[in-house]
Amino acid sequence: MDIFTLIFWVITLVWLGFSLKKDKGKTLKAIKMSGGMMKGIAGDILGILLLIGLILTFVPPETIKATIGQTNEVVSTVLFALLGSITLIPAFVAFPLVASLVDAGASIVPIVAFLTTLTMVGVVTFPLEKREFGLKFTLIRNSLSLIFALVIALTMGVIL
Amino acid sequence: MTFLKSQLKNNRFLMIVILAYVAVGIFSPDKFLPSLGNTWYYVKEMLMIMPVILLLTSLISAWVPKETIENAFGKNSGIKGSLFAFLLGSFSAGPIYAAFPVCKMLLSKGASIANIVIILSTWAVIKIPMLITESKFLGPEFMVVRWILTTLAIFLMGYITSRFVKPEDLPADDEAAALVDPLSLNPDYCVGCGLCAKIAPSHFKMVDKKATVISQTLSSGDGLAIKDAVAKCPSQIIRFHP
Repeated sequence: MDIFTLIFWVITLVWLGFSLKKDKGKTLKAIKMSGGMMKGIAGDILGILLLIGLILTFVPPETIKATIGQTNEVVSTVLFALLGSITLIPAFVAFPLVASLVDAGASIVPIVAFLTTLTMVGVVTFPLEKREFGLKFTLIRNSLSLIFALVIALTMGVIL
Repeated sequence: MTFLKSQLKNNRFLMIVILAYVAVGIFSPDKFLPSLGNTWYYVKEMLMIMPVILLLTSLISAWVPKETIENAFGKNSGIKGSLFAFLLGSFSAGPIYAAFPVCKMLLSKGASIANIVIILSTWAVIKIPMLITESKFLGPEFMVVRWILTTLAIFLMGYITSRFVKPEDLPADDEAAALVDPLSLNPDYCVGCGLCAKIAPSHFKMVDKKATVISQTLSSGDGLAIKDAVAKCPSQIIRFHP
């Protein structure tokens, strides 16, 4: 277990200890509820993990690396940003998926663009957002998110 | 049988992947075990963080006083309001569309356009349990750098949007028109957590991963459970007017 995960475990367990001591009933009830929420997405998570296993076996990392290495990085970043905009999957499920791509040697710039637009730009939810906040707000917020996703991705490519 | 049917319906994606595995087992059996082996590596990583995320989400929902944060918005709340907007988004659960009804409610309480953009964006990208998952799979350095850049971008976006969009550009609240039944909800924004069905099973039921109202009749004592469900709903879509 890496140090970061360990720190989170320690913080959480200490907090849990205090919480149990202060209000046992409230704590247990909250855990039960989050458990129910987790059960709802457990099937999807297992599905995506099994799919990753399948993809990695049939498309070996060397092929992924070679394909992504050949494509122009700017083109692939824009493509990944657009791909993230039109898909609506929980980020929770997306992390292991993109990690498998990074492990296979993909560049992080398109990956960051995908992760950011995945959650912040919503083409599927555009009609819902428009109904609640109007066309102007929705258009500006989504375009700005797309632009900043690209900026964040390129900056991360420079820093890391 | 009906149980099996509903399980199949709720886990359609998992079923398709399992079918793919069956096909692999039949047509290229030598790839079957390596696929499972590759999966096992990611399952192990997931199992290391799942319990901590479950606990942390519970603790946040039990102890972070959402009402206090929500009441801290206002037209002149300035930097403090933006900070609260940031906190509210960071400590929430569910996808971005779950934030729409919450933001709508905050707008009616006087939250500014900039703060609404901040809540929507933080709600979408930088939730605390998500950060743990990100750090686990992509490394702490990756997570921290992306967090800092995204935070800067979000505050900038809030400012820019408020320059272009004025409050009168937003559609008026049409909620009053729909108040026929004492109990109603908007399934468009349901995230399928099932809390309401658990808290008040005589009034809510999960159908196709969405909550539905199954009864309008109120017996004595029902009100308390329903009010609890209204308060706990992550996207605040339940309307209750007894």
